Amino acid sequence: MWAIIKKEFKSYFATPIGYIFIGVFLIAFSVAFYFTVISSGNVKFENIYCTLPSILALAFVIPLLTMRSFAEERKTGTEQLLLTSPLSITKVVIGKFIAALSIILITEICTFMYFAIICHYGMPDIKTTICTMLGFILFCMVYISFGIFASSITENQIIAGVISIGFFIITWVLPDFNPNLNGMSFINMFYGYTQGQIDIADTVTFITFTITCIILTITLMQRRKSVK
Amino acid sequence: MQFKRMNMQKISKDKCEKFVKNFTIQSKGGMILGKSEKEKTKKEEGQTVIEIKNVTKKYGKFTAVDNISFEINDGEIIGLLGPNGAGKSTTMNMITGFIEPTEGTIIVDGYDISKKPKKAKKEIGYMPEGVPLYTDMTVKEFVTFMAEIKKVDKRERKGKVEKIIEQTGLKDVERKLIKNLSRGYKQRVSMAGALVGEPKVLILDEPTVGLDPKQITEIRSLIKELGKTHTIILSSHILSEVSQICERVIIINKGKIVAIDTPENLENKVSRKNCVYVTIEDIDNKINTVANNIKEITKIELVKENEDKTKQYMIESDEQTDLRKIIFQEFAKENITIFEMKKPDTTLEDAFMKLIEGGNDDVGNN
Repeated sequence: MWAIIKKEFKSYFATPIGYIFIGVFLIAFSVAFYFTVISSGNVKFENIYCTLPSILALAFVIPLLTMRSFAEERKTGTEQLLLTSPLSITKVVIGKFIAALSIILITEICTFMYFAIICHYGMPDIKTTICTMLGFILFCMVYISFGIFASSITENQIIAGVISIGFFIITWVLPDFNPNLNGMSFINMFYGYTQGQIDIADTVTFITFTITCIILTITLMQRRKSVK
Repeated sequence: MQFKRMNMQKISKDKCEKFVKNFTIQSKGGMILGKSEKEKTKKEEGQTVIEIKNVTKKYGKFTAVDNISFEINDGEIIGLLGPNGAGKSTTMNMITGFIEPTEGTIIVDGYDISKKPKKAKKEIGYMPEGVPLYTDMTVKEFVTFMAEIKKVDKRERKGKVEKIIEQTGLKDVERKLIKNLSRGYKQRVSMAGALVGEPKVLILDEPTVGLDPKQITEIRSLIKELGKTHTIILSSHILSEVSQICERVIIINKGKIVAIDTPENLENKVSRKNCVYVTIEDIDNKINTVANNIKEITKIELVKENEDKTKQYMIESDEQTDLRKIIFQEFAKENITIFEMKKPDTTLEDAFMKLIEGGNDDVGNN
């Protein structure tokens, strides 16, 4: 599995995708940082995570990270190399998931510079900061796992990307139209974390959804062996 | 250690010698057996490495592979032949565990590929059709990656990767990105990926497609060398290639096995009746009367008329007598001058075409 993580991680930086991903995020965070921290003069670090630019960046950039994972392998045929090796499909899927997640972690680490700047002017709330970061990882896990699943159902990267973006927008916008669908709103759950509260139910929802998507991907790949 | 020299084109002689040299080096290291040792082990073991029992693969209503069964022994080089869409790649994909058969079992080195995939897959090195590679990696990175996913022991990994890069002649380009390599080198990189992890069985899906003649000779000699230490299954639609490299040929058409035999036997089995081609100068036009007088001749047919007024005839006989002697003597008596006389060449091509067109009535399994 380590081999897959290493290979995926390297390929993110061998192509511009890794740099674009981190770059776009940092631009979005910087814009958010300017409007919610500098111009309003407060010292709330969590604000940079939960404003519109950051959420928009998430919607369009996470699919960029995940849309290649299986779609490209299938298109170029390298899938055959992976699936005829002694590695199990489970390890391949989890390896790809961890590699994508590690890019999110790098982005998070980069945001420490905003934290340092804020510290210069006043003390941000440590508890809220930690909750926000944890929430952000859990939140991204949901979309990464869904993105990988979307990538495994098609050999066209663009379709995989569009499905992921569509899913993000649906879960983002739908609860605004119908409050009954609030349970679907991963963003509202994430906002809870940025208030400095860790809700067990929300955490369980995030993790369950992630695991479901990973299991679906594995099942789909295994199923394809017999219908392919 | 003595190595049998192959027929090689002059142009690639030095390359081939390099391969042979590499193998000599490795033989000394004990990793790869020499021919004599290998033959010994072959005789002693002679065991079945791959067993395919009643395998069928269906895509919806379309049957790609229809109830095929065969066995492959240790150390054999097998050629899988068939026209496009015959089911070669499907069969190979099933052996490697990439796809699952609808029915039937595939056993690789004693392990059922669908029940114990990890152990079975460890014994298989697969070079898929169209050489899929991670083009953003360098050659060395790719081979190392393949070693990692094939679970080569971490301590030995570096040495083994080096050895394989040398063996496949990739030393000069090991630091280049795969996307910048020529087709021939890509093919070798793919081969290196299949070889890593010392699998017992190598499965090569159309290994020489898209190469120039020089590269084809190089890859072929590489395959021949590898055949001394591995069981190889090779698919191709180039018949001369198969007859040069393979010890046994499996001909597949429309998902069914048409014949399993050695290339020589296949040629013999479908060779024409006792038949001779003669080119003669027949000024008095007596050929038909002469032919009628010779009782052995059952059929005579004009093949072509040449510009120099000579004519080529095809002469057939049902009896297994040597027609050439009779023709020579009788024609001379009637003042018919023989310019050329030859037996028709039966090649694997003929066998192939005949088997594919005519079904499998007259050719049995070996």
